[in-house]
Amino acid sequence: MDGSPACLPPGPAGAVRPFSVVRDRVPAEIAARVAARFGVNEAVGGAAAAVLLAQADRDILRGAFGLDRFLTVELTEREEGTGAIDADWLGAPPVERGFYLSLTTGTAYGLQCAVLVCDELTRRGVLTPERRGNVELCLHEAVANAIVHGNLGIPSATKEQPEGYRLFSRLLRERLGDGAVRQRRIDIFARWSADSLSIAVVDQGNGFDAAALPEDTESGAHSGRGFVFMRALARRIRVTDGGRCTLLQFDL
Amino acid sequence: MNFQVRRSSEAIEVLLSGRLEFTDHDSLPDIVELLNGEGTRRFVLDMDGLTFIDSAGIGMLLILQDESEQRNIKLVLRKLKGDVLRSIDLARIGEVVTIER
Repeated sequence: MDGSPACLPPGPAGAVRPFSVVRDRVPAEIAARVAARFGVNEAVGGAAAAVLLAQADRDILRGAFGLDRFLTVELTEREEGTGAIDADWLGAPPVERGFYLSLTTGTAYGLQCAVLVCDELTRRGVLTPERRGNVELCLHEAVANAIVHGNLGIPSATKEQPEGYRLFSRLLRERLGDGAVRQRRIDIFARWSADSLSIAVVDQGNGFDAAALPEDTESGAHSGRGFVFMRALARRIRVTDGGRCTLLQFDL
Repeated sequence: MNFQVRRSSEAIEVLLSGRLEFTDHDSLPDIVELLNGEGTRRFVLDMDGLTFIDSAGIGMLLILQDESEQRNIKLVLRKLKGDVLRSIDLARIGEVVTIER
């Protein structure tokens, strides 16, 4: 796999490789590892199954989605980084009618992932304008939790102490300045049928006890409303993997 | 999120625009600092230009409510609409913050 510049269009019929490289510098052995992880036979022709990115931003991700592959995986946050390209990431088997996006925390922070994913769900005809607002808010809350409380490891209670918001900002800056923390994965896995949409958001943090979540939040509390929103707007919400996976389900 | 400030003798009006979300915590100390002006009695957050607010943004509004209360200043939320209004209603913060409808 030699890599090619931005947004390779699919090649001639029968000559399309299983992987498209949107950015250069993805070594062949990494592509082979992705093939093994996701059960995609690299030697088989036909439609490409994955887009591998060496560094993602909003435009590159939109370009990658435009290739209509099942997997979109950001292998590393910074191109100048060495070694990080083979960092670990979570996997999911390919399914029909869905997509899987794997990003580093450093990229996901500030990218507005929920907007990007909902744009893509709209482009693929899954979300109507009437459904979009609620899905986007729920997904945004799940991603924010995965980033802040999951991968960055900042407790929700931080903001409840006096001037806690200053401490919260400081912790955010500190954790986002830690290269190893920035490389932790945020995975978003969307699947749909004619009448239902499921989105899983997975992080690599320490998890939490979902059973301890309050049913409601005090009206003056500074935190804790993300789950209140998700419970109110999604048909169903489940937290699995010790708090590392939030699964949202919506009617379509 | 971006904000602009308008001042009068007794009130400070902050015009919020864009998205108010968990990545905006760094802006909060600058807005809290506005509460320290002499003679301020009302602190109005104009949300006409705001397109989205998440649970962390709601938390920031409640921090501003606490900071205003400590200084005996009345906080008012104004011109809520669309997705912002939906989030504020879902969070039921009207019990603790004055909302102009």
